[in-house]
Amino acid sequence: MNRTTRQWLALLPVLSVMLLLILGISLYAVAQSLGYAPIYGIDAFPTLHYYDLLWQQTGFWQSMGLTLYYAVIATVLALILGFFLALALVKQGRNHAWIHTLYKFPLMVPYLVAIAMVILIFGQGGLLARLSFALGWIDSPAGFADVLYSHYGWGIIIVYLWKQVPFMALSIYVVLMGMGNDTDEAALLLGARRWQRWLYVVLPQVIPGITSATLICFAFNLGAFEAPFILGGGFPDTLPVMAWRLFTDSDYNNRLTGMAAMVVIGLVLLLLIAIAGRLSRRVFQWQGAGHGR
Amino acid sequence: MDAKRANRRPNFLLIALYVLIVAPVVPVIIQSLAFQWHWPDLLPSVWWWSVRGDVAFPLAWDYLLSPYSHVFSAAGNTLFISISVTLLALVLCLPAAKVLVSHDFQWKQQVLALFTLPLILPEMTLGLAFLAIFIPMGLAGTYTGIIIAHLIPVLPYMMRVLVSVYKNLGHDYEEQARLLGASSWQVMRHITIPMLLPGILAGCLFTLLVSSNIFLLTFLVGQGSVETLPTLLFAKMGGGSLDATGAGLTLIAMVPGVLLLLTTERRIRDYQRMD
Repeated sequence: MNRTTRQWLALLPVLSVMLLLILGISLYAVAQSLGYAPIYGIDAFPTLHYYDLLWQQTGFWQSMGLTLYYAVIATVLALILGFFLALALVKQGRNHAWIHTLYKFPLMVPYLVAIAMVILIFGQGGLLARLSFALGWIDSPAGFADVLYSHYGWGIIIVYLWKQVPFMALSIYVVLMGMGNDTDEAALLLGARRWQRWLYVVLPQVIPGITSATLICFAFNLGAFEAPFILGGGFPDTLPVMAWRLFTDSDYNNRLTGMAAMVVIGLVLLLLIAIAGRLSRRVFQWQGAGHGR
Repeated sequence: MDAKRANRRPNFLLIALYVLIVAPVVPVIIQSLAFQWHWPDLLPSVWWWSVRGDVAFPLAWDYLLSPYSHVFSAAGNTLFISISVTLLALVLCLPAAKVLVSHDFQWKQQVLALFTLPLILPEMTLGLAFLAIFIPMGLAGTYTGIIIAHLIPVLPYMMRVLVSVYKNLGHDYEEQARLLGASSWQVMRHITIPMLLPGILAGCLFTLLVSSNIFLLTFLVGQGSVETLPTLLFAKMGGGSLDATGAGLTLIAMVPGVLLLLTTERRIRDYQRMD
């Protein structure tokens, strides 16, 4: 047995599991959305019928818009706030170890925990509403802004931000620390101004490193279920919530329509990855992608 | 330059962001201890401990810690599933990570890219597809089905940690031992394994956490017949409100993450990077 064979043998188990699970599942999902579902007694493959049904769902385009809205706003804000947090951490230096630990707390807990916090703080009977009453700004719970249970509400976005700002910060921090000061100092010596050093030295080095973290957050926000399900404004829902409602419907045809909705999200993601791949050739490099979902 | 000065001065931006990250835990703790918290009181008017003796049925924390709440069985399920997934992932990744670090071969980048994919695939897509496959196989609503489904999000993290572990290992000590006449078994037993162990442990604790925090895959594949801490919490607050029991459950669901943060965070930090 030669070396190459031995190497592939070591890789074989995990690779076959990954290929079987990921590619198998993805292909199966696509096939199902195209009409292949013997277990539900449907075998119309290939047909675009279920995509047709999806477009015809009332509120489909609103759902699409809502899904993109939450995902885009949350990801962009997480990126900006995460950048500031990372900069503050770099400035802080290594003198208080706990500072570099405690901010990862949101990474370590489920999204449901963040949702619980948002309910208690931002609900109309929540802590901020009570504070506003104490300060005389409002005189009844209904006077407080519709942060939760409303379309385009901030509750969902705040959940994503609380979980993802630390994730972004961690990814950006790793990139900033790995960057070194050489080019920045060279630019400084050559007389570059502060903003020039930022624009031409720091940003070009940071952006490729954070593309994967941004994509991971955006992908998660597009496909997320818990936050829009619990904190959303009801019909029309985001696409994953819509997919789940269709899937739990008693009519089996609707299950395939639900799958089509998830495939649409997959297509949006693929498009985005292709664009990001154009912009940065290092999308699939692993550096910068920290931990935590 | 001004880094030294900044160290002495409190960093206001950092403090502000820190408050936003940590402070939201406080209302959850208060709510879990409240019995009556009417609008517009800033603090509960009646606390749980002052009425515990007056009612026949268990309240708040008494309820949570009683068998009626299913908290202990859900915690047991969470632990069982995450330990199984972790061991399975370890066995699958250990030989592969070594090869990925120590050898260059064609397709290496593609293999690594494959391990990024699960971070991008929506859990809803995975869950619905799994369900369609698992129902006819009889795996829906079983531990086996959930463990297989959890492998997808867990494997990338295990792989990432193990690859860094092997990278940081270095082969100097192994070579020295070999030069001194150690057999390959002795090298394995006395050098390689002791050096790998801390990293492997860190990776395992980390994937334990990833698995115990998964909600949607468990919810879909488990079909409501297997309760874990996240699914229990979802059932409690799915309607959009949070009573004392729900708040207590939220605190319980934080426990695995807080434990990991306290014990191993520093060790894991060294293994995050991999390229």
